[in-house]
Amino acid sequence: MNCDEYRVAIAADPSFDGGAGHLTECAACQSYRAEMQALDQTISRALSLDVPALQMPELPEVSELSAVEADNVIALRKRSWSSPTWSPQIWLATAATVVVAALLGVRLIGTAIEHESLADEIIAHLDHEPFALRVTDVAVTDERLRSVVPADVAEVQRNIGLITYAQSCIINGHDVPHLVIQGERGPITILLMPEEMLGEPQPLMGESIDGVILPVGNGSIAIIGEKEEALEKFEQQILKTVMWTT
Amino acid sequence: MQSSKAATERRQRFDQYVGVYHQDMYRYAAWLSRDKAIAEDVVQESLLRAWKSLDSLREESSAKQWLLTIVRRENARYFERKRLETVDIDNLTASQAALLAEQPNEELDDMRQAIYELDDDYREPLVLQVLMGYSTNEIAEQMELKQGAVLTRLHRARAKLKEQMARQ
Repeated sequence: MNCDEYRVAIAADPSFDGGAGHLTECAACQSYRAEMQALDQTISRALSLDVPALQMPELPEVSELSAVEADNVIALRKRSWSSPTWSPQIWLATAATVVVAALLGVRLIGTAIEHESLADEIIAHLDHEPFALRVTDVAVTDERLRSVVPADVAEVQRNIGLITYAQSCIINGHDVPHLVIQGERGPITILLMPEEMLGEPQPLMGESIDGVILPVGNGSIAIIGEKEEALEKFEQQILKTVMWTT
Repeated sequence: MQSSKAATERRQRFDQYVGVYHQDMYRYAAWLSRDKAIAEDVVQESLLRAWKSLDSLREESSAKQWLLTIVRRENARYFERKRLETVDIDNLTASQAALLAEQPNEELDDMRQAIYELDDDYREPLVLQVLMGYSTNEIAEQMELKQGAVLTRLHRARAKLKEQMARQ
């Protein structure tokens, strides 16, 4: 481990206890480590805000909770680790990643989470892109729409509605065009999934959203809106205006 | 009688989690939203959601992560609903300013302001690591990122704070 690698590691986690061999021989890194640990103490104190007294909200009786509400939050998977492992190999790889990312200005973002079902993954994905659900009257450009929905995947007619968001996303390991149109009660999310074949429609339920994954040809289309939205009307409209070209 | 006992046990279990993790929930919400009043709203909503969904929490060891995940989602929903704009540090509301002026300590005030000004992408993993004691693996799961991305963000966050504090 050299000075650069050690400093990247210690700046990412000042409690890092690897690199002992390097540390004993490098006074500069000893000093840097002490500096980062002091910085972290200040960060910790700054973050520790005073907490106001707990105001418990009025909780409904258990008998009033519906099955749907009880399932609102997707249970977390059991963690597959017990404690962080800081092997020199991980840190070397990490340091290299940080350096490369810094040089290239690359943001390394991935999706490490596995979901139990397609519906779970879709709901988690929506939570991850709340900015997609803007109320706006500004449509995406034709160029943007073409880049997100390639001609060899699907054809989307403009009378589907006012398309205000278009992004290519990864769902279940596949590139999926993620579109948002403006509904009557708020934005409506449409995920075009030509590679997800379903036998029958699957409902999607979240805390403030309702939706469905509809089988369409050899693929499927997820349509999700606000709970108050009359989605059936939009479902028909979407099915009429989207055609697979795969 | 049986269902009444089950309901009482359910409430006791809930109160126990809230007692242990309420402070973490509030501080996480406060640093996500950067606004004390919003944090209180988010925590209230989160407690309600947690109560309704308590039966989906099957492992006690996951309780903290489960509650913080709910806080994270509630915060995102709050900002969806309110369509809040980016905060201008020179034009804060009283509730936002209260976050920065918590204790009369110049060094901490400077640090709090530097943290406040960090991008969300950098501030959140830092809060999870320093305040919540999360490992980088746990942060990666919470934020749905790869571990390398988390380490990069933490490294950059501290570099920015160090630079900012040096300027003060």
